[in-house]
Amino acid sequence: MVILLVALLFKGCLVKDVPEPKQLTNTHSNQVEQIKYPTPKNITIDGIDYLQSQAPIGKFGGELIASTIGEGPKTFNPFNCKDNISALMAGILYDGLLSTDPITGQPIPKLAKSFSISEDGKTYTIKLRKGIKWSDGKPITADDVVFTWNDIIFAGLGDTSTRDSIIIDDKLPTVEKIDNYTVVFKTPKPFAPFIRMLSTSIAPKHFFMPAVKKGNTSFDSFLSTNTPPKDFVTSGAFKLKEYVPAQRVVFERNPNYYEINKNKQKLPYLDKVVYLIVGDLNNEVLKFEAKELDVISLQGSKVARYKTLEPHSDFKLYNLGPNTGTMFLSLNLNNRKNDKGKFYVNPDKQMWFQDVNFRKAIDYAIDRKNMVLNIANGIGAPLYTAESLNSIFLNTNLKPYDKDLNKAKELLKKSGFYQDKKGRLFDKHGHRVEFDLYTNAGNSEREAIGVMVKQDLEDLGMKVNFKPIEFNSLVNKLVSTFDWDMVIMGLTGSPLEPNGGKNVWLSDGRLHMFNQRTPNEGKIGILPWEKEIDYLYTQGALATKFEDRKKYYDKYQEIVYNEKPFIYIYSPVIIVAIRNKFKNIYPSSLSGITHNIEEIYIGD
Amino acid sequence: METLKYIIKRILQTIPLLIMVSLISFFIIRLSPVDPLAELKLNPSISPITVEKERQRLGLDKPIIVQYGKWAYSFIRGDLGVTSTGEKVSQKLKERIPNTLLLTSLVILLTWLVGVPLGIIAAVHWKTTFDRVLTVFTSIGMAIPSFFFAVLLLLFAVKTGWFPIGGLTSPNFADMNFIEKFFDIAYHLILPVFVLFTISLAGLQRQMRANMLDVLDSDYVKFARAKGLPEFVVIYKHALRNAINPMITLLGFEFAGLLSGAALTEYVFQYPGLGRLILEAVMKSDINLVMASLMMGAIMLVLGNLIADILLIITDPRIRVKS
Repeated sequence: MVILLVALLFKGCLVKDVPEPKQLTNTHSNQVEQIKYPTPKNITIDGIDYLQSQAPIGKFGGELIASTIGEGPKTFNPFNCKDNISALMAGILYDGLLSTDPITGQPIPKLAKSFSISEDGKTYTIKLRKGIKWSDGKPITADDVVFTWNDIIFAGLGDTSTRDSIIIDDKLPTVEKIDNYTVVFKTPKPFAPFIRMLSTSIAPKHFFMPAVKKGNTSFDSFLSTNTPPKDFVTSGAFKLKEYVPAQRVVFERNPNYYEINKNKQKLPYLDKVVYLIVGDLNNEVLKFEAKELDVISLQGSKVARYKTLEPHSDFKLYNLGPNTGTMFLSLNLNNRKNDKGKFYVNPDKQMWFQDVNFRKAIDYAIDRKNMVLNIANGIGAPLYTAESLNSIFLNTNLKPYDKDLNKAKELLKKSGFYQDKKGRLFDKHGHRVEFDLYTNAGNSEREAIGVMVKQDLEDLGMKVNFKPIEFNSLVNKLVSTFDWDMVIMGLTGSPLEPNGGKNVWLSDGRLHMFNQRTPNEGKIGILPWEKEIDYLYTQGALATKFEDRKKYYDKYQEIVYNEKPFIYIYSPVIIVAIRNKFKNIYPSSLSGITHNIEEIYIGD
Repeated sequence: METLKYIIKRILQTIPLLIMVSLISFFIIRLSPVDPLAELKLNPSISPITVEKERQRLGLDKPIIVQYGKWAYSFIRGDLGVTSTGEKVSQKLKERIPNTLLLTSLVILLTWLVGVPLGIIAAVHWKTTFDRVLTVFTSIGMAIPSFFFAVLLLLFAVKTGWFPIGGLTSPNFADMNFIEKFFDIAYHLILPVFVLFTISLAGLQRQMRANMLDVLDSDYVKFARAKGLPEFVVIYKHALRNAINPMITLLGFEFAGLLSGAALTEYVFQYPGLGRLILEAVMKSDINLVMASLMMGAIMLVLGNLIADILLIITDPRIRVKS
């Protein structure tokens, strides 16, 4: 009986893998929701500079239960988060000076009342809100801002990635208090990405001071998950109520929060926000179906089922558009030797991989639409650019195209490749075109892509040996031993700031995988277009106006589009389900569905 | 005095054993291809300096043998070290051990309270309908993998809505009074306890039944019956005392399973016990946490066997005479 049940279950899985035709129509009818979000405005009442919500007035009370996958937060210290879940939790507790407009992606004031950037792009003047308070009732002032930047971030305490990313020509920006409610930041050179760094959390000086004084080791354990919730001094809309290891994190209303609604009542509306700590995706789905969860992010195969359930259920699906990650194929362009005098890549293969026609032929042979349909169950969008589809810097002039075998074969012919009678591909020296394709084993999506890429390239007569290997071995190949031919990888990116990708795109970057150089090699053997990307990336960070920056980043995307160091595949689309009872929902592809958590309320 | 000497001897014997266990585990973990820094290396926004700093903080820049030496030195001094994210290992274990103990001790208590009597009854009523029905049920219990059974029960809980989907407490647990809290935990424990209970009950009941049957067949029971003793006395005074001995050894193993025995079920039910913690630690090659849990497992096993042996000395005069 047990065997029978197991067999039935497997059969169920197999059936699910075959795409149903109706899922295609789902993708098309499921366009990104465009609900205009009324951005909150500043208002001053009795000398206190509040933020005023412009969304409809709601009712107070109730709770929202969300979830996180994994083992839960490791710390609540916003300056020491090395994982996404800790960062999410710390982000709820601590607001930054600025935040991001969920629709346009432009910086908007949060803890700050206003901000301005000087003509030369080097001075940032921040005005703070007067009269707003920490959760313990002490005022939030310029001292807190200066303390946060000077004594925590610039001092290199905790996680140093913020600090690492704003070192310009070996110099750090400076921060200076003008008066109690004015702070000025100065960067040594114009550096546009700095504005995004101003959304870094601000720490209460009186609360963080003792830990900062004790130095790095003690700071690492400050605000750990063992800290009693009542000890926290925070600024976010919700403060910590309870943390139960491996079960949940509970937040409750912060009565000192500085946002009010149009009736001048203090927000947030909800009494509590609960994050259940769920070990895996399957359990999360079960919990949503058992109504233990109010909101859930859905994976490809589940979407079709939820779509059919939606009309007679108590939840609504929102399409947040393609996610911020990119997935790509890459060929190893390395033509150098290792310290033992051996080529990293076989010289015959080097000739193929370095040939842009060869790379383009592969690009044209890949059937992205078929992959979206079969692997992402239709819940995805083909990708052709280096910036993700929801990036505000996306170059929209770069047009998508379909699989085109004739064009691919034409390109190969141009470079002297030929096919024999059996359809096998040879290069002009008569070498059979055969190479290895790696990806990380265990990632079922990438493994499926690998199988389809192999099939697609067989249409061109190439022999691809698909080898999924263990993640760490793969990373090792990519960043230290460089002994790979082709790889399927993914990277996370920011839809707001391309400069985060500098480690990938600069020719001496640490993740410049397609032509990785060792630290000693510097910029050795740089290709003309690599040099151009280096230039564009540097200029893009130095320019201050969005329009100017966009020009540089458009150009870099165009070069990648033409030279194909990475052959992009597709981006999964994020679909979120949330219970109907929650109102003031303004989904955004940049910030998700609960970005305005303080405005969300429970309707009738 | 003899017993005390025996105990000391046994404890001394375990020291080389523990050293072996720790050496093997440490090297296997460190030689596995899991690189605790792989995620960091592939994150575009992390600088090489930060990666290098992490390597030093985790001690990965030193040879394995030095890493082992450092670990062993602090372990002997009772310091379990910190996890890869900088939390105290002892604190992490302390958060989880009570939950796991609650689950496993409840299960062991229940299985022994039910399993041993059922085994005796089945043996006494050998080959009756009752015995046969029970055999069928325990066969099923032994055959279903705990993992699979737990998943089935979870689906059952989703469909009916009668039970919570895993966890140990409800989101509003903190606002409950004592009685509500008690019932909330009990409510969450029903399914995981049921899974573990069904599975271990089967083994225990069969073991007890087999022991009892052996004894009932022996000469001294026949003699007791022939002597005309009442059946009750024959079974519960003469037969049972002999049949229970092998069960005590079993109890030693149950003790070892107190902390680690429920890992799979804990994982499926998202139970906040040690199982999930250690699974994640192994995946991330979080060496201090994995080592602490492995050593804990080894010590519990050794201790369990020791306790069983001491109990045997107390209950079985034959062993006492020999030693």
